[in-house]
Amino acid sequence: MRLRFKWGSQMQHNEIVTDKCSAAGPLQIDYAMLARLIVGLLAIAAIGYVWHDGVPVLLTASVVYAMPKSRPWCVRLGLALIAALVALFVLRMWPSVMAASNVSESASDSCLLSCLIAIPLIAAAVILVVPRSAEKAMRVVTMVTMLALFGLSARLLVPMGRGFHFNQDIVWLARFGIHYHVALDGISLWLVLLTTFTLPIAAYASFGSIHTRIKEWCFSLLLLEAALIGAFVAIDLFLFYVFWELMLIPMYIMIGVWGGSDRIRAAIKFFLYTMFGSVLMLAAILYLAYMYSKLNGTPSFDYFELQRVMLPRNVQIWLWGAFTLSFIIKVPMFPVHTWLPDAHTEAPTAGSVILAAVMLKLGTYGYLRFSMGLFPEASAEFAAVLAGMAVVGGILYGALCAWRQGDVKRLVAYSSVAHLGYVMLGLFAATPASLEGAVLQMVNHGISTGALFLLVGVIYDRRHTRQLSEFGGLAKVMPVYATLFIIATVASIGLPGTNGFIGEFMVITGTYVSHKLGYFNGIQAAGAAVGVILGALYMLTAVQKMFFGPITHAENKSLQDLNGRELLSLAPLVAMIFVMGVAPGIFIDQIRGATSRTLDVYQSRLAAHPGPRYFEGVPHLIARQADAPIAIGTPSGDGATAEKRD
Amino acid sequence: MELAAFFPNNNFSLIGVILALPLIGAFINGVWGARLGKPAVRLMALSSVGLSFIASLFAFCALHRASEALGHGEHQGAARLSWLAWEWMHTNGGQFLQTVPVELKFSIDALSGVMMLVVTGVGFLIHLYATSYMANDPGFARFFAYLNLFVFSMLVLILGDNLPVLFIGWEGVGLCSYLLIGFWFDKTENASAGKKAFIANRIGDFGLLCAMFLLASSTGALDWAGIARGAVSLVNPSEGAQIHIWPIANAHYTGWLQFLQPTHPITITAATAVGLALLLGCTGKSAQLPLYVWLPDAMAGPTPVSALIHAATMVTAGVYLICRLSFVFVLSPAVMALVACIGIATALLAASIALVQNDIKKVLAYSTVSQLGFMFLGVGVGAFVAGFFHVFTHAFFKACLFLGAGSVIHAMHSRVHDDVASQDMRNMGGLRKYMPITFWTFVAATAAIIGFPFTSGFFSKDEILFKAFVNHSVSPYKTELAARGVEVWEAPTWFGPMLYTLGVIAATMTAFYMVRALVLTFFGEFRGWSIGRASEAQHGHDLESAEKAGHVHGHGHVHGSEAHDDLTLPGDAPHESPWAITLPLVVLGAAALFAGVLNMAPFHFEPLGHWLDPVFEQALHGSVELRGGAEHAEALMWPLAGGGVAAFFVGTALAYWVYVMRNGEPAHRLATALPRVYRFLVDKWRVDEFYNATIIATTEALATMANAFDKWVVDGILAKLTALIVAGFGSFLRAFQNGVVNTYAAFMVVGGAAIGWFMIVPHPEVVIKAEGAAQMVEATTGPGYTYRWDADGDGLIDDEQFSDRSKVTVQVEPGAKKTIRLEVKNAFGITRSKEIQIAGPDAPAVQMGLANAAQ
Repeated sequence: MRLRFKWGSQMQHNEIVTDKCSAAGPLQIDYAMLARLIVGLLAIAAIGYVWHDGVPVLLTASVVYAMPKSRPWCVRLGLALIAALVALFVLRMWPSVMAASNVSESASDSCLLSCLIAIPLIAAAVILVVPRSAEKAMRVVTMVTMLALFGLSARLLVPMGRGFHFNQDIVWLARFGIHYHVALDGISLWLVLLTTFTLPIAAYASFGSIHTRIKEWCFSLLLLEAALIGAFVAIDLFLFYVFWELMLIPMYIMIGVWGGSDRIRAAIKFFLYTMFGSVLMLAAILYLAYMYSKLNGTPSFDYFELQRVMLPRNVQIWLWGAFTLSFIIKVPMFPVHTWLPDAHTEAPTAGSVILAAVMLKLGTYGYLRFSMGLFPEASAEFAAVLAGMAVVGGILYGALCAWRQGDVKRLVAYSSVAHLGYVMLGLFAATPASLEGAVLQMVNHGISTGALFLLVGVIYDRRHTRQLSEFGGLAKVMPVYATLFIIATVASIGLPGTNGFIGEFMVITGTYVSHKLGYFNGIQAAGAAVGVILGALYMLTAVQKMFFGPITHAENKSLQDLNGRELLSLAPLVAMIFVMGVAPGIFIDQIRGATSRTLDVYQSRLAAHPGPRYFEGVPHLIARQADAPIAIGTPSGDGATAEKRD
Repeated sequence: MELAAFFPNNNFSLIGVILALPLIGAFINGVWGARLGKPAVRLMALSSVGLSFIASLFAFCALHRASEALGHGEHQGAARLSWLAWEWMHTNGGQFLQTVPVELKFSIDALSGVMMLVVTGVGFLIHLYATSYMANDPGFARFFAYLNLFVFSMLVLILGDNLPVLFIGWEGVGLCSYLLIGFWFDKTENASAGKKAFIANRIGDFGLLCAMFLLASSTGALDWAGIARGAVSLVNPSEGAQIHIWPIANAHYTGWLQFLQPTHPITITAATAVGLALLLGCTGKSAQLPLYVWLPDAMAGPTPVSALIHAATMVTAGVYLICRLSFVFVLSPAVMALVACIGIATALLAASIALVQNDIKKVLAYSTVSQLGFMFLGVGVGAFVAGFFHVFTHAFFKACLFLGAGSVIHAMHSRVHDDVASQDMRNMGGLRKYMPITFWTFVAATAAIIGFPFTSGFFSKDEILFKAFVNHSVSPYKTELAARGVEVWEAPTWFGPMLYTLGVIAATMTAFYMVRALVLTFFGEFRGWSIGRASEAQHGHDLESAEKAGHVHGHGHVHGSEAHDDLTLPGDAPHESPWAITLPLVVLGAAALFAGVLNMAPFHFEPLGHWLDPVFEQALHGSVELRGGAEHAEALMWPLAGGGVAAFFVGTALAYWVYVMRNGEPAHRLATALPRVYRFLVDKWRVDEFYNATIIATTEALATMANAFDKWVVDGILAKLTALIVAGFGSFLRAFQNGVVNTYAAFMVVGGAAIGWFMIVPHPEVVIKAEGAAQMVEATTGPGYTYRWDADGDGLIDDEQFSDRSKVTVQVEPGAKKTIRLEVKNAFGITRSKEIQIAGPDAPAVQMGLANAAQ
């Protein structure tokens, strides 16, 4: 008797699959297998207790062993490697281990960030010369580059502290004070890692469903990766703007070429919305740099130099507005969010994953780094209003809209609006916990929404529809898929123990104690907490419509469960959902220093220029931020000198 | 002893073992269950919970020893064994926004120790029961994976040392409940019931989240000890520490909104706010008004789930949380009174619905809601020990009742093959003969729940009723607050007697509906013969649904052969269940009868009470006054117990008269005489319909509106309008690019003229720079510009002639302002002037340009 109990009753067509992949022998060996499993787990625990480094090796071996033999060996090995990498990551990054470690950046690492940007660009150039027919070669080049990049980015994991690391400053256009200046702190660390982590997953998953114009596809992916990393590490505002615009193009192409039926409209909408904000930001950057050169005599686009420009309120508001509009379009926040559902719905799966997981974070990151860093007074002045918009227009409105969507991808897109509402609320509240929570929530959202988009892509590849009404009862035919979808769902609705909870909790509790939101902190924290109810409402409704109930459509009766490629691309995301849920300290410890530095700068500027009219005098330069990294033309210690006016 | 040396009190890692065992069970059964096969899954599931129970026993002994070591003196502190896994995260709170660490820390004290034993012990029995009950279900491994995961989550809930860790378990049990209610997910109703449960619980979780940020902000801590230390700041009556309710966000209403502006802002103390928020959480999880509606629907899950999750353990989490944070609740007598009111109202409402239900599981479900109401009543009047004791006894007798009902349904199903019909008590009757063990254990548990004297339910329920009568909640800081002129609300004197009276009425109803259920199920003649034949014949045509229904079949032999092969014959007679089902029944039945000895208040034998005293020491310090003094209350104990006994006698006798002596005929007559009341009760007070029509409909309408707004206003009007403006500009400008040379030439002329005029007219612009104390004003240069100034601000031009003097130095007093004037003449002899306002060094410099007409 060969029984393999799957979810629900045994379907006959499934029986064939089951028999083929059933690894369990007759029932009498059950106990032996159980014994092996338990002994294996105990052995891992015991050996891990005395010899931490052995855990990844043991995990690799045991996952290969314990996976069903029906899966091809490469899938088993791949999953085993993923398990080992996750274990290695946790062991190395454990807060106490990290605190005791003497890992630090070496001199040779100074060009690490440049390597991270340059390698995908070089690979993209290589793709251009590979013959169009050599599709496999192009895929291999892309995957190898991205995985190498991921491996390389692991070197960024040094104890972050308050400061910037991997600082590199090269004069680019001397006449305009434009430098190629990149550096990394605890805020951008995880976003860069999120990029190098998500992109290979998205690329790998996409190779299963994208079969046309592989050359352009690989080129776009690599270009996008370089632009995303560049935008997260750029310290020079001009450089930032270059990367910011650069990433638009590959994404525009990805939506427009490989997208759904209405792709052209969605791509144009995406491009126009983002571009509208960007040009305003460019104007603001140029004005700011112009002011600086007028005040200082020498031009500069360096973030820490431009931060010194103290502008009167009427000017600051406009510049802040230009930056912020650009960022909240990217986030996106109500009322400029409608490009997102369209772009997501039409984008290919990998495009959606990258868009949701990484690109949207540019908006939140930009607000934290640039709007709050360059214009603290203006940010504080509008924090209460914008926080209200984040709660009502983002968390609540986004969730309500999500509930009403019939297209599951659109639903996930609206859920992004709601989740990023939490991030923005955390930034506006500006307390230590809310800022850390917001940065963590950026990463969380990347992981769990990335997983959700991948999962939606899986069903779309099989059924070529995303309408909830077309599904129902899928848990019976696709049990593994259903399980992973439910895990991603609970992460998305913020169940404690998964990553979503940590960010939401820190943001909500941090918001309540904030003094930056007028008297609205209480009601905004409570409003954000209501979002938790609505989150469960729309996600569980979708889950019920997709997976539960009887199978109403005949096409759904013979769907295949996850294949090896899909399993491999989802596994790291699911693993990270739990790692971030139970040991968020790994992440928070690195974020903490950078957010506290950002907050200190923010607070001290606000303390020096109290609202509501904060500053109406003549523009002048103030001292350079104490923790700023060394840049060309600004010897270290310059920040300590007194205020100088020209 | 070695064990103590191995597990010190402050690093009691045995907790890790207790927690890890069910988790490993869930993991192995969930991931490999399909390949392990049923026997190994059963072994894994049972051994993980069983070993966890044994480890809990060890831990309990260690706790006992630790509390002995502390001694039995007056100031005996609460013994506590704790284990810190690692720091989880942190947040900010307290007076100075200090860091509030949130650790993954677990602890066992007297309260959680008892709960831990109940969860693992009762949990083990129910696991054992389920191995037989679910034996033929295709989702066997999945079921036990969920069930083990539930035990793990419940243990996290109980053992968590701070509110967020408790919240992990709190949501974890909610998730398991969701998954298990919808276990047979191919039926839409089951999946919907699961979703309903999860969302109702989420509404409660909203309250808990609010409580967490309020507590972190007011007390600066989230762990039990820290909250206890900072609890006094929750009653701080000063303006800043209070929670403002109205006007929202301290807004100031003027004009026609004046009527919204109160004379004084309406505030509540943080203690009240925290209490209300926690209470919302507790009503969600413990199925109290207004969030109880999910529990009756949750009976869609398999019966062992109803027993374990929706009767014995998870639903008592709310009561547990109130006990755990009792020292916060007592700070606000208003919240305490509200807890009691919610408890008694729920007890009455649910009992009245249970009177008329015919589905045996529905009766038990409403009975659970009603009993949970009693527990709330207990903790709401400050009788934490009594409330918790009822949790304890209820775990036994209600688990026993549910498992007995499961045994009955199981037997019925093998006869009638219909999910609904096999739970309907109208089809049962006379089962006493066929299933004696189930019958006797059911009787024992019924005796306990209806308060048969000296059974466990008698002691726990009577203690609650007695305390409801004599206890009077007051603020423990009454005198201190009175000294500052702050008055704290207290319940009126009739409040206690009212609670007592209503409690006795609810207890009477309990006795009535439970005896009714007992009689309908086990007495009289079996009424299921005819149903069996009909439904079997019907089943013959629908093989697939019969296969689906196979999940409840306990016996392979009934399932496969007779049921489908020969459809003309009636199925087997109902028969007793196998040992794996009856053994848990016997153990739980015995506990239902005798667990009362642990806390026999009327006999002054209260080991459980003494055991729990240290936990509630802080809460009960000055927060409860006894009506008429301690002696008076003491004297009332036996007379008040009479009320409970009377409730038992009246309810039982009435049910006996109606359903045994008159065979249900008076009930029918009453139902026909009062059809509307009857329908109202059968329809469960139409609360679901009410919610559907109000809250759910509102939310749906909001969502529809939001979606329409998004589609038509944001994406329609806003985006389209912008596009239209841009397109309009484009069309306008396109008109100039018409390719006609004449037009271009005309525009060139106009443009050239404009530029020429700009060149001809001089532009007086200045740049102001600080130069020491003085300020230098420098005019911009231009073709042939000459200047003259009014630098002293007297309104008169200083020089007669225009000169090359492009700069002047102006001295302005600090804080003062001065208006100077500049006139510029260019090579064409055209003059323009400008007034410049210059502020002193300290005042903000405002540059105000007023371009005047040419002179």
